[in-house]
Amino acid sequence: MKIGRLWNKLANPNNVPRLFAFCLAVILIVGFVVPMALNPDQLYVRPSPQLQAEDGVNLAPYDRGGEVLKEPVIVKAQYPENSEELGMISAYMSPLAQWISSISPYFGTSIYSSPGGLIDEVLYYTRGFDTILESSILMMSFVIASWLTVNYTMNRRDIEKDIKKAASDSAKLAREVKVSDEKSRLKQLRRDN
Amino acid sequence: MDFVTLGGNLFGTIPLGDIVLYVTPLNLFLFGVLIIFTLLIAISKTETQVEATLMKLSNTNVKVGKSEFKQRRFLAVICGIASAGAMITGDLFNFTLFMALIGILNIGIVSAVKQTTVLNSAYQYGLIAMMCSLPLFGGAAIILASTGTLSLFELSQLPPNPMVIFGAVLMLLGILGESGVAPFFASKAEMFRTPGSPFIVIIHLSSLFIIVRAVEILLLVLG
Repeated sequence: MKIGRLWNKLANPNNVPRLFAFCLAVILIVGFVVPMALNPDQLYVRPSPQLQAEDGVNLAPYDRGGEVLKEPVIVKAQYPENSEELGMISAYMSPLAQWISSISPYFGTSIYSSPGGLIDEVLYYTRGFDTILESSILMMSFVIASWLTVNYTMNRRDIEKDIKKAASDSAKLAREVKVSDEKSRLKQLRRDN
Repeated sequence: MDFVTLGGNLFGTIPLGDIVLYVTPLNLFLFGVLIIFTLLIAISKTETQVEATLMKLSNTNVKVGKSEFKQRRFLAVICGIASAGAMITGDLFNFTLFMALIGILNIGIVSAVKQTTVLNSAYQYGLIAMMCSLPLFGGAAIILASTGTLSLFELSQLPPNPMVIFGAVLMLLGILGESGVAPFFASKAEMFRTPGSPFIVIIHLSSLFIIVRAVEILLLVLG
């Protein structure tokens, strides 16, 4: 195949996502043979889940120690000097959560006790700027979607005008095509005779 | 590679918790140019394209309506700020988030045009941008898993291992798709063949700057 034809195919926007998906698939398949080794000195450490469960801690496997506003829990930051109050509120539990954890040893593994404290601290304190960006991505997509909804589906009056114009345009075009067809047919007939 | 070799002397940092923005001459220049361009966009008006009418002597003006103009200006200004932020960020994950924001805004700027070809290519670009979130965030996650940090300061000091290189290749693919570099150019290039010039141009400009910045970041990670 000529390379020019290949480039012409690439210039069609419909083919681009397919090519991209293909390249992505190739790289991900290559990824299977890349040696994967996790760094043991991870930024956000936590003890292995079985340890606390065997000790019989109520909050297993999410107990990180600490006391609210007094003693920080076990949490690491990349730059501890930028977040001095780190870990002070991770240990907070609502009264309901405290009551459930006092009567059940399975509090830590249930859905209503996902480790919100730690994740909140990571999301809103050490990596707070990321959270701002994430929510602004969502906000921008809502802005775009709602603007399109308001202006292209609810504002019917404008759309009717557009539809009328498009219909008349296409009718005009069809008429022109018909006329030129007839003309060329006549020409052909004349040539044949 | 080191910061000083790539971008020049470090002027200072802007600490936001674990995310530390840093300012070197290169980053400061890119940031400043984008901010100036965004200001120019914020005070400008759209162009009107003049097209020849078929079978007639008169011309047709392709105009942009007032509410569409306001919407586009808003999205273009946000896009400029997001690209400027991507220029000085010192965190890998932060950079990918800025890229995702720019991708959404690029689609938003052309989402209200009336040319079907432009809308079609914007749709195709949207498909690519959606797919790009996998290599972008996946690449950053793989680099985090392998090195234990996302900060570019720390990453530039660490020697690369095969996993980091794989993560960087994944990120590179995501950046190529999101900013529309060959061979994925067609959908993005077709997107700005529509009236409304200064706002449309930010689509092009943001991807140009992102590529420069991405090269710097990949050199820092791999060097």
